[in-house]
Amino acid sequence: MGRLRPYLRLPWRSATRLRADLDEELRFYFDMRTRELVEQGMSDADASREAEREFGDVEYTKRYCLAEDAMSRREERRTDVIAELRQDIAHSWRTFRRSPGFAAVSLITLALGIGANTAIFSVVNGLLLRDLPFGDPDRLVRVWGAHKDSGADRSQLSAGDFIDLRTRQHSLSSLGAFAWGGGTYIGTGDPVRLSGARVDANVFTALGVRPYLGRTFALGEDSAGVDPTIVLGFGVWRRVFGSDSTIVGKAINISGRSRTVIGVLPPQFFFPTMAEAEIFTPLDLTPLLRDVNRIRKFHNLGAIGRLRPGATIEQARSELSGIMAQLERDFPQSNSNMGVNTAAMRDAVVGDTRPALLVLLGASLLVLLIACANVAGMLLSRAVSRRQELAVRAALGAGRARLVRQMMTESVVLALCGGAIGLALALWGTRALVATAADRLPAAGQVTVDATVLLTALAVTIACGVVFGLVPALAASRGIQLGLKDAGRGSSGGVARHRMRTMLVTGQLALAVMLLVGAGLLVRSLDRLQRRDLGYSIESTLTFELVLAGDRYDKPGAEDQFFDAVYARLQALPGVVAVGGSGNIPMRGGAMASLAIDGRPEPEGKLPEVGYQPVSDNLFKAMAVPLKRGRAFGPQDHKDAPPVVILSESLVKAFWPNGDPIGARVRLGPNPNDPWMTVVGVVGDVNMGVADNSRPTAYVSARQDHWGGAAIVVRTSTDPMSLLPAVRREVRAIDATIPVAEAHSMKQVQSMELTDRRLPMQLMASFALLALVLAAVGVYGVMAYSVAARTREIGVRVALGAQPKTVFGMVVRQGMGAAAAGLTVGLLGAAALGKVLTSLLYGVKPTDVFTFVGVAGVLLAVVLAACLVPARRALRVDPLEALRSE
Amino acid sequence: MTKPAIDLLQGTVDVLILRTLAWEPMHGYGVSRFIRQRTEGVLTIESAALYQALHRLERKKWIRAEWGLSENNRRAKYYSLTAEGRRQLREEAATWRSYAEAVFKVLEPV
Repeated sequence: MGRLRPYLRLPWRSATRLRADLDEELRFYFDMRTRELVEQGMSDADASREAEREFGDVEYTKRYCLAEDAMSRREERRTDVIAELRQDIAHSWRTFRRSPGFAAVSLITLALGIGANTAIFSVVNGLLLRDLPFGDPDRLVRVWGAHKDSGADRSQLSAGDFIDLRTRQHSLSSLGAFAWGGGTYIGTGDPVRLSGARVDANVFTALGVRPYLGRTFALGEDSAGVDPTIVLGFGVWRRVFGSDSTIVGKAINISGRSRTVIGVLPPQFFFPTMAEAEIFTPLDLTPLLRDVNRIRKFHNLGAIGRLRPGATIEQARSELSGIMAQLERDFPQSNSNMGVNTAAMRDAVVGDTRPALLVLLGASLLVLLIACANVAGMLLSRAVSRRQELAVRAALGAGRARLVRQMMTESVVLALCGGAIGLALALWGTRALVATAADRLPAAGQVTVDATVLLTALAVTIACGVVFGLVPALAASRGIQLGLKDAGRGSSGGVARHRMRTMLVTGQLALAVMLLVGAGLLVRSLDRLQRRDLGYSIESTLTFELVLAGDRYDKPGAEDQFFDAVYARLQALPGVVAVGGSGNIPMRGGAMASLAIDGRPEPEGKLPEVGYQPVSDNLFKAMAVPLKRGRAFGPQDHKDAPPVVILSESLVKAFWPNGDPIGARVRLGPNPNDPWMTVVGVVGDVNMGVADNSRPTAYVSARQDHWGGAAIVVRTSTDPMSLLPAVRREVRAIDATIPVAEAHSMKQVQSMELTDRRLPMQLMASFALLALVLAAVGVYGVMAYSVAARTREIGVRVALGAQPKTVFGMVVRQGMGAAAAGLTVGLLGAAALGKVLTSLLYGVKPTDVFTFVGVAGVLLAVVLAACLVPARRALRVDPLEALRSE
Repeated sequence: MTKPAIDLLQGTVDVLILRTLAWEPMHGYGVSRFIRQRTEGVLTIESAALYQALHRLERKKWIRAEWGLSENNRRAKYYSLTAEGRRQLREEAATWRSYAEAVFKVLEPV
């Protein structure tokens, strides 16, 4: 029987096997036939020859039969695999039905791990991997001005420099310039403020955009004297113009000027590095090029280029830098320290989100690893209780490979079910993420769960199933022979398995520690950001934008009149403490200007650059910026009065060591013919950007430098947003064509500005929390299993007089041992990996002691809690019961 | 071995093998002997063709092979009919019968 058994089912024979079988079969035939012929009276030799002869072509027959056999074998193998797979899946299903608790915990664990991963990966895919929605996007470059002295390498170019770059370079097939634009659409309903860009004809050519309707700008359409035109973004076309398919050729009123719509851009289009832009008007560089004071000193242009076929970005970069270096030599007054920065468009668009995304992707992978470790741990414990089952199956003829395969099928089925739930979570999570970050991420529209994401999720899921299934499967199949004998009760083989589980838990804890440290550092950064001294108060403050539009504001005095009316009417509203306005909303940057001081020798090369803000009389009061010296602006500082300026404290500190600049005279801006301005006051420093600290700033009176609009700040004694309807009413009463745009409380503004930082922090924190919970479940599992496995030992100890305290301590000590090991590894790992977080941190070092100590405390507390239940169970062990059960 | 004859032969050999195995599982030698005895030597199938047919039919899953012990205690490969093979046999036999009847109808008057 022993010899025959392998042949009973002819399982998947090898080629050699097939050949041997065939030879044996034919030999049998010849022997039998020869014998028959001998019986009929032939001699042995004749009979054998005759048998050969009458058979026919032996060699051909052999080849023929072998080919047929090989085909059958392939077929057999295929149907066998499918049949076994179906068997395994059915068996897995039964197994899960038998232990629903285990199945539920594993499924939730996996779903969370895979879901988190898929959601983050779909963002990474959309932003970092998928093509940008432009023709041949990999050939696009973004060109910036670079200030070598300040290190600002993503700033604007001057018109003169841009034209020189464009005409002298050879590595780009087109190079287009754009500047901030936008305007107010005045239609039949309420006026609508629209962000936009002014672009020259080369921009759309370089981008390779095919319009949805009509066309984009033609060469020459950007010069003066041509009929004003406009190209609409898809969003604004749908939102504001009701998807009017006949809009091309119609004239619309933008900021009081009639413009003919010539085209609508496709839905997926976004303007790179200025995603908020929705309307596009032609940019005419001629006025800037004619103005000697602004041609190279007024930096307001961005540039987009397309590489010539065959040219590389390195070539373009070195060529543009060379041109810029020549300009630096030719025009030292304007160009010293001015460089150029050329980057691939994808890098430009993705910008700062890349490190955050990669960190989050890494974090979500760690969560997935922890989830896998958890499930692997659970499978390991289960393998103990299933030893008997496996042993029975082995005894019934299942080979080790077959058993491993069956257990792997179980884990892959488990992973696939978890993955399916995870995918549902990811769909939801991706949508939530995009909704939260839509206005901060230029390419947010690109983020969808597409085929790449689905395939990756599938691959990750199957990999998970294999990873967490293999170890327990191998471990379980190894000790099969023992299985039948001890019926799965004894501890032989359990030691190794338990060590493996402890290692898994230690690894989980280490990973969780790393995530906790990461989250802790980000939380601390955000906290620092929110609590840093801004130099002004954001409590109870409303802010909104008013941009003037229409010919009537070109008349002298009209702008002052409008804003004076606004300030007066708003000031009169109940609940308003103070009203002011400035060129820019705080926290959203501002302009720069060069600074010259009367009576001091001009420095070699370029003048120092300082922040520049036109402000209304009461702005400092409205923002609660302290006046340190001198006076604020007032109605006396009108257009025809002597020009005056107020300086920030840090500017004073830099140029007036004695701290008193009152009465000194300065000149702001590049034009040497501008009059000197007298310093009348000093105010506290204000933080203008999100992360950058206050910069030296000069404030001028809005009455003396008209900007055609202002960011209004209203300090209130009530909820700022509750004042908004009244504010709108008052503004409408003055001029119904001026919309109240971007209305928010200052707290909201801060919160929006911090989105880029809050979002990674929140995600990281959720990942860390998830990791902690999963690790805690892992610790609980291993401790519960350990106590269960040691019931007899504990019973003996208690019987021999061990104190409850000792037993309790024994269990807790074991858990804390794993915690200490995990903590050590995790903290070391966090210290080593902390560098990747640097760009996401503010005011916190990656090795922040507070965070590390805090994480250690949290982890130990959680592990202790996870040990308590098993430890108390150990206390309740009844020695008699424990010994009798053996 | 000449190929052109095979096509005609194959169908005949196949159906004879199926019919033979319908009696009982047999090894290849047994099948060849059985057909020889049964047709009283009128039909002799070349053994090469027989073995090719056996392996072909096995691949088609009309018959299945198992190693067993022969009458004289030697290891031999036994072929038996599968359910699918039995169905095939019924169909082929019916075809053969109607074919033979048709041929006879033409030949009868002689």
